[in-house]
Amino acid sequence: MPTTEPRPGARSATTSTQGGAERASAQAGAAVRVADLTWRPYGRSRPVLAGFDLTVEPGERVLLAGPSGSGKSTLLRAIAGLLLTADSGDLAGSVSVGGEAPQDRPGSVGLVLQDPGAGVVASTIGRDVAFGLENVELPRGDMPPRVAATLAEVGLTMDEGSPPGALSGGESQRLALAGALAMEPRVLLLDEPTAMLDALTAASVRSLVDTVTRRRGLTLLVVEHRLTGWVELVDRLVVLGADGTIVADGPPRSVLREHGSRLAAEGIWVPGFPEPEPLEIELTPWPGDSAGAGSVGRGEVVLAARDVTVEHRTRRLGAESRTTTAVSSVDLDVRAGCVVALVGPSGSGKTSLMGALGGLTAPASGRVDFALPLTPGGSAGALDAKGRVEPPHEWSSTDLARVVAWVPQRSASAVVGRTVRDDVLTTPRALGLDPELSERRADEVLAALGLTGLGAADPRHLSGGEQRRLAVASAVLHSPALVLADEPTVGQDRLTWAAVMGILEASRDEGAALVVTTHDDGAIGRADETLRLTAPPPSPPPATPERRPLVARVGPLALLAVGLSVLPLPALLESWRQGLAVLGVELLLGVIGLLAPGSGRRPVGRVRGVLTRLAPAGLAVVGVAWSAWLLGGRDLEVAAGAGLRVLCLVVPSAFVVGYLDPERLGDQLAQRLRLPARPVVAATAALQRVQSFDALWDELMKTRRVRGIRADRGVVPRIREAVVVTGGLLVGALGQAANLALAMDARGFAEARRRTWARDAPWRLADTLALVAGLVIVIAGFAARFFLPA
Amino acid sequence: MTTSNSVRPDEIRASGPLPRWRTIDLLTCAFLGVAFGVAYWAWGLVYETPSNVISAGFPPLSALLNWPWLVAGIVGMLVIRRPGAAVFTELLAAVVSALIGTQWGITTLVSGLVQGLGVELGFAAFAYATFRWGPLLLGGFLGGAFEAVYEWYSWYQEWDLGYKVAYLFLFGASVAVFGSIVSVALTRGLASAGALNAFPPGQEVRERHAV
Repeated sequence: MPTTEPRPGARSATTSTQGGAERASAQAGAAVRVADLTWRPYGRSRPVLAGFDLTVEPGERVLLAGPSGSGKSTLLRAIAGLLLTADSGDLAGSVSVGGEAPQDRPGSVGLVLQDPGAGVVASTIGRDVAFGLENVELPRGDMPPRVAATLAEVGLTMDEGSPPGALSGGESQRLALAGALAMEPRVLLLDEPTAMLDALTAASVRSLVDTVTRRRGLTLLVVEHRLTGWVELVDRLVVLGADGTIVADGPPRSVLREHGSRLAAEGIWVPGFPEPEPLEIELTPWPGDSAGAGSVGRGEVVLAARDVTVEHRTRRLGAESRTTTAVSSVDLDVRAGCVVALVGPSGSGKTSLMGALGGLTAPASGRVDFALPLTPGGSAGALDAKGRVEPPHEWSSTDLARVVAWVPQRSASAVVGRTVRDDVLTTPRALGLDPELSERRADEVLAALGLTGLGAADPRHLSGGEQRRLAVASAVLHSPALVLADEPTVGQDRLTWAAVMGILEASRDEGAALVVTTHDDGAIGRADETLRLTAPPPSPPPATPERRPLVARVGPLALLAVGLSVLPLPALLESWRQGLAVLGVELLLGVIGLLAPGSGRRPVGRVRGVLTRLAPAGLAVVGVAWSAWLLGGRDLEVAAGAGLRVLCLVVPSAFVVGYLDPERLGDQLAQRLRLPARPVVAATAALQRVQSFDALWDELMKTRRVRGIRADRGVVPRIREAVVVTGGLLVGALGQAANLALAMDARGFAEARRRTWARDAPWRLADTLALVAGLVIVIAGFAARFFLPA
Repeated sequence: MTTSNSVRPDEIRASGPLPRWRTIDLLTCAFLGVAFGVAYWAWGLVYETPSNVISAGFPPLSALLNWPWLVAGIVGMLVIRRPGAAVFTELLAAVVSALIGTQWGITTLVSGLVQGLGVELGFAAFAYATFRWGPLLLGGFLGGAFEAVYEWYSWYQEWDLGYKVAYLFLFGASVAVFGSIVSVALTRGLASAGALNAFPPGQEVRERHAV
């Protein structure tokens, strides 16, 4: 392999379409050699890996197992050459892949991470697969066949224009795999690729990995906690100890025979070992009159849902918001002391239904009724003005917290306290429960979960498994009558599984009704009732497509220019008459832009969109006009002139902003304006995720509400809450950034100062016409200045 | 490790050559920008009324509520510590708030650019070697002052020069003081949450609490 060629990924472009034999020889697996590797992240006194050695032969398939924190993921990142991508620390030793440093050939080491979707870069699946090809400067013309072949290879059959957000968990992992395979790697690294998937999906992903690595002859290293299924398809099992050294290494069967029971005791899911039993946790009971669990007799209905339909709204920059039906007409009775498992494929509405059951979201139609003793008014039933019992989504934060507990799937979102102990005691304090008893129960639950020593620690610094245990414990310490847990056992090792199930069952034994969404057969097996959900059929696309307004046919760069064409106006407009004239021109141009000639359905909401965007400008105009009046000689004409000038500045934007597509803007900025590629791509990738910030904000606020600490009234508490939640949002955003950096660098982005683009950014007639419109605005300004009185 | 023990915490430099941005530098700036853009959009919705109230008697006082607009750029610079961080973060925050829809439309981009440039100049004047109060005060003031000059032109043409100057100084000073304090607090908060492990501020926190 010549090392002088800087971008070998691009060179092998033609091999993908040729015969299998030739391909196998061109890109068979490479040897991996790790020698004397030491890695100490800053902030750890002891290295995670110290003097670590490992050799993997070309085409060998290796499964890495070991307890949490033993350095398995670290090892994969080191082999990919990405240890310093999202972390800082002291690194020594050497890693080579096929005799070269791992990142010498971008894409030669493919990496797939645990969280489906964490590495998504683009707004369509085709573009996402092409990302690595762009980074190695593959010519645009060579990309489509390669993208299509790779998508077919991983079994993704939907249109290449589909958004990655619409994929299920298993499909997302296939997409991640395709992104790596498109670069024709020689080594494939999988970091718990099936941990977040249900058993069936996990099996299908495993068999895909098996097929692909065999066909391509790839070297494979997999990290997993659940060894079942993987053991059969690897040649070698390497077991790491808690201290990051290799404790066993050999053929899977013999290693398991020798070390299986020890691995199981350390939390690994070893095939052939019985399912773990939930921890037995006994808590000092609350006195009998508390309104939570126990106030409804065991077996009686805590919550009755009737004909519940939930709708889901998604917003995206530069596109209309969409409403989809997530749950349609569900009936469910949840009984005290019983567990209901909500099951079904991802996208079937389990989480949405749970939100409606717990009063976290308002159902679009149908009713959710709690047993009367649980409602805020008690048995008498507080009736609202219309004489009905208030639905739970309208209850105050503390009223809701008393009755409902919710454990979100991302346990990092559930952190509300500064210390572990603080976090556990948050809800009992908010509800004014007996402090002494609360403390005692907190001691008991922390001890049972092995968190006693961490009482003073910052919950955000806990490991994933510890955070999960804490989230469940904090949710149920005050014995709510209804406990909702969203995928509580996903990705957990045997120990965390036993702990989480233990707390949930302790809460059930106190008389709570449990609703658990899960893919986990172990958890389903322990439920009293199972409700299987299926995704409501998507609403059929309209027979005739909408006509597109003229402005929607213009590229983002030209739209941007129109929005900025107003900048000379303040220097030109001197009077209200001039302002009014230019405003008239702008409105006329705007209305022309909204016209939608052609055939098809009439587009709806064009004018409403413009008005919505203009509404906030109203107050700004008033403010400027007022200050101009006050400081400009108290003259109404001066005030009107200032107000109109400001309006002239913002009106064109209101017409064009809704039609700016961030991804196409990135394409044009890089290809037309030749802005530096890497910052443009990073910015575009971040812009794709605006809506995930929406979702995270929503989740953080819901958590606060259900924990009884949502600021329902008052300006100061609300500001304080906004600051706290913004902090949580930023932490979440930066976590996403770190994961994405890893995924992007694994696909050759680190050195992609020059890159090609899968999609061109042509300049069209519509763009030129839009520029002319912008010019007309400027000319109108000059004309007004010289032909109208000042 | 050697650097963090021998150098003042606010003087740890970014790794590698300063202008050589790592992917995580770019993405962190970008995600900060997007998150702040969303926050700015929300702040833009609520801020107009109090701003109009406090400035009803003396309009230049509205400058006192303007410092939040510059926090994105300052935080970006405090975290990444590379040339361009303030402009990149602030500009992206402006793009996002404009795309969601603010009262200033696309002209927000100009504000984002001049604010980011002002902050950037403050840190450049200290050769990106220190991230303490000197560059914070200077950068904050310049960022506020630049924006004030742009607003003289676009919004407040009718004001007398005296009012304009008062606006500029109030704006610059409030960013230098409040903007800096909030940005430093935010950066420390993010570092102690473990969100800045790959950056100098996080590195400093971690080495201090090494376990």
